[in-house]
Amino acid sequence: MKFDLKYIGWLIPALAVSLLVWWLLRDPTRQFHESMPGQDNRGNDSMMVKEIVNIGEKFQLFWNTTSDSKASWTNFRGANYDNISANPVQLKNSWTENQPAINWSVELGEGHAGPAVYEGRVYLMDYDEEKREDALRCFSLKDGKELWRRSYRVILKRNHGMSRTVPAVNSDFVVTIGPRCHVMCVKRESGDLLWGIDMVKQYKSEVPLWFTGQCPMIDHNRVILAPGGTAILAAVDCATGKILWETPNPGNLKMSHSSVMPWTFKGKKMYVYSAVGGVVGISAEGADEGKILWQSNAWNHAVVAPAPVCLPDGKVFLSAGYGAGSMMIQVSTSDNGYSVKVLKEYFPKDGMASEQQTPIVWNGLIFGIQPKDAGPLRNQLICVSPEDVTKPLWTSGKEGRFGLGPYLIGDNKMFILSDDGTLTLIKPDGKKYIQLAQKKLFDGSDAWAPMALVDGKLLLRDSKTMYCVTVN
Amino acid sequence: MQDNSEPKNIERRRFIRNGMQLALAGTLVGVAALSVKKTRASGMVWQIDPFKCVQCGRCATECVRMPSAVKCVHAYNLCGYCDLCGGYLKPDPNARSTAAENQLCPTAAIQRRFIEDPFYEYVIDENLCIGCAKCVAGCTSFGNGSLHLQIRHNLCKNCNECAIARVCPAEAISRIPADKPYQIKGGFRKTPAKDKG
Repeated sequence: MKFDLKYIGWLIPALAVSLLVWWLLRDPTRQFHESMPGQDNRGNDSMMVKEIVNIGEKFQLFWNTTSDSKASWTNFRGANYDNISANPVQLKNSWTENQPAINWSVELGEGHAGPAVYEGRVYLMDYDEEKREDALRCFSLKDGKELWRRSYRVILKRNHGMSRTVPAVNSDFVVTIGPRCHVMCVKRESGDLLWGIDMVKQYKSEVPLWFTGQCPMIDHNRVILAPGGTAILAAVDCATGKILWETPNPGNLKMSHSSVMPWTFKGKKMYVYSAVGGVVGISAEGADEGKILWQSNAWNHAVVAPAPVCLPDGKVFLSAGYGAGSMMIQVSTSDNGYSVKVLKEYFPKDGMASEQQTPIVWNGLIFGIQPKDAGPLRNQLICVSPEDVTKPLWTSGKEGRFGLGPYLIGDNKMFILSDDGTLTLIKPDGKKYIQLAQKKLFDGSDAWAPMALVDGKLLLRDSKTMYCVTVN
Repeated sequence: MQDNSEPKNIERRRFIRNGMQLALAGTLVGVAALSVKKTRASGMVWQIDPFKCVQCGRCATECVRMPSAVKCVHAYNLCGYCDLCGGYLKPDPNARSTAAENQLCPTAAIQRRFIEDPFYEYVIDENLCIGCAKCVAGCTSFGNGSLHLQIRHNLCKNCNECAIARVCPAEAISRIPADKPYQIKGGFRKTPAKDKG
């Protein structure tokens, strides 16, 4: 058979061209799948099922007692909203083997709600997992006996605990916010129901991830709430439940886990709220009460738990979790009103930051525990100057790592509770970390709730149990 | 006179048969023992201590296998099933969705599935996982730490000198007995001695 070579000359280029065409037409990414929204098959928000909640519908009286104690820890971060106890009781500088002693303990529903105290009575917003009820529980500070309970049925699914707010209390009233934004006001001593507000219904509030973390504020017998939704702030009369004013929310700021903080700047009293979507300063007095004085949307993060730290010179320190980091803003006044300037914004590894707790200002310095994503300083207590929050004056070092737990100051001593129930006593100082004592109080987990310090008794809890510890 | 030859033959056969049966039984027992011994390997294999791991990312780049024999595993009993998952979503995501721009994993190896409000399940596709530990860092920092790295022994060549162990800054990789080749969180707990550091 005779084979003509000229056909080979044609065949090779034809084959080459075919291969080139095949190569050009072939999609090397044909096996790739696009990651588009909705591939998780996100369902409808069944938590929004129209459940009828009768706020404060049930009451149980268990016990009655009187107390000589006049000291109080009235709300989140104490009476002055600074997490520093003004109580003159002297506290121990060191602990023996048996100190600090646990006076009493009480089993609670899973959560991170902290207590408030008023003249010998402890108020705590709990969730009863068996009855599926939000429950304001009143205990005797002396022995932990439950005196009464005001509750209402509301269905929650376990989601990193349920309860996580601190009640606000004054001589006449106790105000609570439940996990699903139900506000309740009762008479302080008797627990008689006065009124309730469902912020989801009233203001179209969006229940934050892992439930409500906002702690209510009572200011001159008015409850200050930050619903988000149709009103960024609202004031409600404690006695009647009448809404005194509402601040419109044109910027559609949402409720965060942060709480409203009072601030007086250049003689003007205002409320500062670190919302999801921005931070606002709202007048707390005078003709413009309830009006927005200043606002910054430069501060915009999905999960905001620490409260704003407001400083006398107009600086406001803001921090948030989930890698957001921190921001320092400067609020100024001029003839045209208030203005806001961002001084610094940084990630947690670059300066003071906080995931859950609010840093403490003590003697003009800021103390706080770094989050887990803060690089080498993770979980360490650090001290910074407000002038430069990115340069620690000192740190607690590699051996001094804590967690997401709370810290407060009393009698010039700082108490830090670690997640696992270890209590550490330090001496706050501007130059160095001074640890005075440390003790593992209990085998705990997720001990994140804010503490309360009253008459030498430290109230603290982990996810399931509240303890009263003597530290004087 | 009786003939005794027949009984003698029977005894010999029985003796041989019994002997064969014994030999066979012995062989079977021996094989079974060897099999049991083989399933209880006395060797050592490389594994990661998830409580020491600092999520430096070197497992993805230093392993002699490409992609790495190190994979992310998920301890479901520790997971919070959160909507806002620090191991799945980038910090400060635009939205809590499956869109590529919101995902932390560079190879989309984590699948997110809605279970019921507000819970989501996160499943690792090990064929896509490169062991970069980005998700582990996110989960450890912001969640319960249920995502963690393990060396997969069906992929690992069990090198005499593990290339990752050589450079691991936390010295988290060490040889462990081959009969317990994994240190999965949940079952495997941090010992008090490992608490510090």
